[in-house]
Formats: sequence, C-alpha cells, structure tokens
Amino acid sequence: MASITTGVAAGTGVAVRRRRYMDRKSLVPLLIFLPPSLILFTVFVVLPMVDAGTFSFFEWNGYGPITNFVGFENYADVINHRNFGTAVRNSLIVVAVSLLIQLPLAMWCAIALSERSVSINILRTIFFLPFMLAEVAAGLIWKFVYDGNYGLLPILGDALGTKMPFVLADKFWVIPAIMLVITWKYFGFHMMIFIAGLQSIPNEVVEAARLDGVKKWQIVRHIKIPMIRSAIVVSVFFAITGALQLFDIIIPLTNGGPSHSSHTIVTFLYQFGILRMKLGFGGAVSVLLFIACVIVALAYRRILFRVEQN
Amino acid sequence: MKRIALAAMLGLMALAPVQAQTVVKYLNIASIPDEVKLMTEAVAEYEAANPGVKIELPFLENEAFKAKLTTLLQSADAPDVFHSWGGGVFYEQAKAGVLRPIEGVLSQEAKDAQGTAGVAAFTAPDGHIYGIARDVAEVVLWYNKALFTQAGVDPESLKTWDGFLAAVQKFKDAGITPLAMGGKDKWPAHFWWSKLVVRLAGQDGFNAAARGEGDGFAGEDFVKAGQFFLQLAQLDPWQEGFQAATYGDASGYFGDGKAAMHLMGDWDYGAMKDNSATKQGIPDDQLGILPFPTIDGGKGDPTDTLGGLSGYLFSKNASDDAVKFIEWYNAKPVQSRFANAGYYIPIVSGAADGMTNPFKVLVAQDINKAHWHALFFDQALGPAVGGVVNDVSADLAANAISAEDAAQQVKEAVDDAAN
Repeated sequence: MASITTGVAAGTGVAVRRRRYMDRKSLVPLLIFLPPSLILFTVFVVLPMVDAGTFSFFEWNGYGPITNFVGFENYADVINHRNFGTAVRNSLIVVAVSLLIQLPLAMWCAIALSERSVSINILRTIFFLPFMLAEVAAGLIWKFVYDGNYGLLPILGDALGTKMPFVLADKFWVIPAIMLVITWKYFGFHMMIFIAGLQSIPNEVVEAARLDGVKKWQIVRHIKIPMIRSAIVVSVFFAITGALQLFDIIIPLTNGGPSHSSHTIVTFLYQFGILRMKLGFGGAVSVLLFIACVIVALAYRRILFRVEQN
Repeated sequence: MKRIALAAMLGLMALAPVQAQTVVKYLNIASIPDEVKLMTEAVAEYEAANPGVKIELPFLENEAFKAKLTTLLQSADAPDVFHSWGGGVFYEQAKAGVLRPIEGVLSQEAKDAQGTAGVAAFTAPDGHIYGIARDVAEVVLWYNKALFTQAGVDPESLKTWDGFLAAVQKFKDAGITPLAMGGKDKWPAHFWWSKLVVRLAGQDGFNAAARGEGDGFAGEDFVKAGQFFLQLAQLDPWQEGFQAATYGDASGYFGDGKAAMHLMGDWDYGAMKDNSATKQGIPDDQLGILPFPTIDGGKGDPTDTLGGLSGYLFSKNASDDAVKFIEWYNAKPVQSRFANAGYYIPIVSGAADGMTNPFKVLVAQDINKAHWHALFFDQALGPAVGGVVNDVSADLAANAISAEDAAQQVKEAVDDAAN
C-alpha cells in the first residue's frame, strides 16, 4: 500500500514539474541557463568523442590533415596487441576489487561510523582524506611507501624480520599493491555516500526494531542496507565506471610496468596511442572503452529496473 | 581640430612601437635556474642591440614539451623557434608542413660553424634545412673508481664484451651492484640495446634496417644484439627493483656510490650529483668514463658513438628575425658561456674550446673523431618505432623476452610505420 501511494505522489510530481516547464515564464530561465552547460558539454564532451570516433578509422600521427582511411584496421590492431589483453584483465580486476572489497569495506566503516560524535567525525575525516588527495600525489606517496630501498615497506619488513619484495618491480606483487592503493584511495568516498544514506534512516525505525529485540546484525541486514539501497546503487555505478577509467594512479606508481604487466585500458591508450603518436590507434581504444562503459550503464539500469519490478 | 590632430598623433605614437616590434618566441626546455639566467642575459643583450625585436622564452618541462608540441605547432600560438632532438619526430614535423625551411635566410657563416654533421641533422629527407644544431651529447659508461678498487676489477679488462661480463660477475661476487638502471623509464635500457647495435650492425646495417631493407631489425645482427643484452641481463647485474626505478632513481643510486657503473649520457655528470642523497655525488677523482666494450666480428667502427645532436627548429610562421636571433645566439660568443658553465657541449666550432670539465672535454673529443655519431634510437626512429625499441629493451633487461621476439617486434613496428 505504501509503495502505491508514493508511486502516485511521484507521478503527480513529475506531471506538475512538466507542466511548469511548458509555461512561458520558465522558458526564459531555460533559455538563459541551458545554453552555457549545453555548449560546454558539446565542446568538451560530445565533439571530442566524435573526433576520437573519427580518428579511429584513420591512420594519423597528429600532424596535418586526416586523410589515410584504414577502416577497422586500428580496431584489429588494438585487439591483436600483445598488451591489450593484460590491460583488459587488469581493468576487470580493478572492477572486481572495487565491488568485492572496496564497497563492503566502505559499508562496514559507514555502519560503524554513522553515529554523530566528535571522535567519530575525526575518524571519518581521516578515512575520507585519501579521496581528497590528488591522484598523482597519492601515486607518488605510495611509490615512496613501496620503494624497496628507502620506502616504508622495507622498514616494515625489517621490523617483522623478513625481506619485503620490491613490489612495484615484481610482475606478481604489482597488481595487489595497486589494488591496495585504489582501495585506500576510494573507499572513503563510498563510505561517505553510505553514511549520508544511513543518516537519513529515521531513528524510530531502528529504535522500534531494537525494542522488538532484533539483533544488531539483523538490523543492518534487514533494515539499514535495504533502506540505503539507492546510495548503494549510485556507489556501485561509480565504482564500476571509475574502475574502467583508472589512469592517474598507475602512471606515477608504475607507468604500466614492469614489462607492461600493470596497464589498465586507459594507461594502455595513453602509452600506445598518445605517446607513440598513433592517434587512430588511441581513438580505437577509446571507442572500445566508451562502448564498454555504455553497455555497463545500460545493463546496470536494465538489471536495476528488473530488480525493482520484482 | 587641434584635438583631433593630437589624438591622431597619440594614436600614431602608440602604434609606432607596435609596428616596429617583432616578437620571437623561443620555446625551450632549460630548467636549471642558472642556465635560464644565462639565457635571459643573452636575450637582454640582443634586445639592447636590436631595438625592434623582442625575444620571449616560454618554457615547458621535458615530458610536457613532447606531449604538447604536436598540438602547439598547429595552433595560432605556435612558437617561432623550439627545441628539437632531431630524427624521426623532426622528419614528421617537416613532412606535415609545420616547419619553415630556412636555407634562404641562413648565412654561410652559421652553416659552416655547425659543421656538416650539424647541418645534416636538421636537413629533412626533402632536402630542406629547417633548423640549426646546438649541442651534442654522448652516452658513456660511467664508473666508480673506488668500487672498482674494492672489487679488484681492472678497468682495462672491460675493453671486450667477455671481459665486461667477467667484471660484472666479479662485482656480483663482491656483493656490489655492477650497474644502475632506470627500468621504469625504459629509455635508459634502450641505451644498452642501441650501443650493442652500434657495435654489431654499424652505421650501414642500422640505416638499412631502419629503411626496412632485407630482414630489417629482425636481421642477424639485431638478434645478436638481443642475445648479448640477455647474456648481461642473466647475470642480474642491475640494482634490486630496477624495474620500478626511474632514471632519477638510478642516477642517484650511482651517485650515492651504490653501483659500480651506469650507462648514461654525459649529462649524468650533473644529474648524478643532483640526484644523490648528499647532492655531491661521486667526486671527480673517483669518477671515470670507460669506452663501451668492443665485440669481435662487430660491423661497427670502434670510434662510433651514440648520443644526441639537438638544436632549434623554426615553425611555419617564423620570421627572418627569428632565424637572425638564433644565428646570433648560437654563435661562439654566447655558446661558449654555456660550455664553460658545463650545461652542454655546443656544436658550434670553437665554442667548446674553453671547457674545463675533463669529462665533457673527453666526450667532445669522442664525438669529434667518431666515424658515426648515432642519434638516440628512440628519437632517430620516431615515436612509434622508438617506443617499441624502448619496450623491448626494458623487457630484455628484465630477461622477460627472447632476443628473436625483441628483434621481430622492432621489425614489425618499422613495417607498420612504413605503411
């Protein structure tokens, strides 16, 4: 019953809003406020996208007119490139780690830190700090932490009585090392989203459950998590698209090395497309990435829609 | 009426200096403050002597410069003059028509002063001269005399490749890192491959491969270069974690006296000090330069060197004044200041005569008597092929690729670029 009433209320809300946009009074602000964002969006998002799509069918080194049409050759080159598979694999690992480690960790911290008090506020700020750091700065900081000669890691190793590997120079350890940095960097962001959601849960609901003798874990499982569903939906979406576009932490940390083992799709694009001045090749990578992101977005909406209907 | 005349006069006065003033923008990559000071002083002198010309010195950091230049040259904001390492990147720019041929403006005097190598370096395949050469650099095998004594290695024994490998093993046995290597940046690794190719294939072999003739870079000499490189890599000669080390890290490692040798450009003399923990680096009397080991049966000339020959290029809209300024700036009186201060080795004849730094003097002599001064391969071959050379070199240093595969990858990149 409750869901029906909210549904109707939302429906009338939309109708009212729509009617308001139609009347002439709101047309003026629309004409004033829409063009700037529309122009910016077109110039900085749509046009570059169209450009990249165009490049991807040409061989072009960035100089002079684009004339050498090569059809789908760039796409074939990308798919057959010896390092593309690694880049895709790494990007998928980042997605998986984001969803399976980062978000649960963020949720756990959010539930623990959703109360209001000074000490909790301080903790929350500390957890959120990494997210406010510039990516490149974070990458450089961790490069020093991991440095096998002067870093924090060998000191830690000494204290534990073992010799730590040079993680960023090791084909195996480099991926876990990067995942740790990513989790450290971004879980605070998701934690904040979750905290905002948790704080909007009416206290009475939790209070009532507690009076009924519902256990703490069950309150989390059956009340809190379901009630912040929309926050989770947003978080998951950010986590996936962010993971697919990961770039600026990798460059200062490893630059894709050792032996190309830590490239993501975007660092692959930058290394082999931009720096090598093969802009057609780079364009093809970006188009493939764009398609992947669009598919993820559409599939995600479809899945959510289906879940909602059930 | 009077007022109008006055206004017109004021207007003319305001216009006059604008009309007479030509602005020359010289985009450079000089980052050392004292070097920049020398540059601005020279510019001030020139402006005082040529009131109609104003020189601007916009600066971009090395990597940003490479990344931005392509776009910049095709924009309305293109610099008149800019730094260039020559080679494949320069040829692309010339082919794209973003450069100005200057043979009509360049004086015979300025041409002669650069020498034939200098003029050739900035002559594009189309036969036009687009730039002026400024300086030369050489990749040399720096070594730490104290560590050689400590491990009981005689520098003389490193003259041949086998002797070199034996010495590397001796350092390993003595618990000393034989070689410093900035593997993350990759280009330091490509010096090894390049030096081996210079020794094994020589000038003719390299040029033929670069043109894609025969087996190209998959040919015997290039596979051999990979095999020699792997012989070295299999001894695990680099410092631990070298694959995560940048050039700066490796340079500091050598400067701190932790590695016995470092194959690096002559600029590492200053960089090694700057990157070391103490900022002092290895003292001059403990530092030495070894010739790169010779290889039996190699087709290269023993005097061949590897390094740079960089200079200035002129963009499409550069004025005659821009060329005149660089001619003046690149002549002996100004260039000798940079030589004396040890920033680089000017190519202009006579400018390097006053150099006192023994290492720079040695390098200048090396290049002077070289049969072939090979340009850095990653520059000479252009960004696409050069990038692959860097890739496979880093992989060879890590012992992560076979010599055949490395050679094949470079060949494919050349074939790909030729299409």
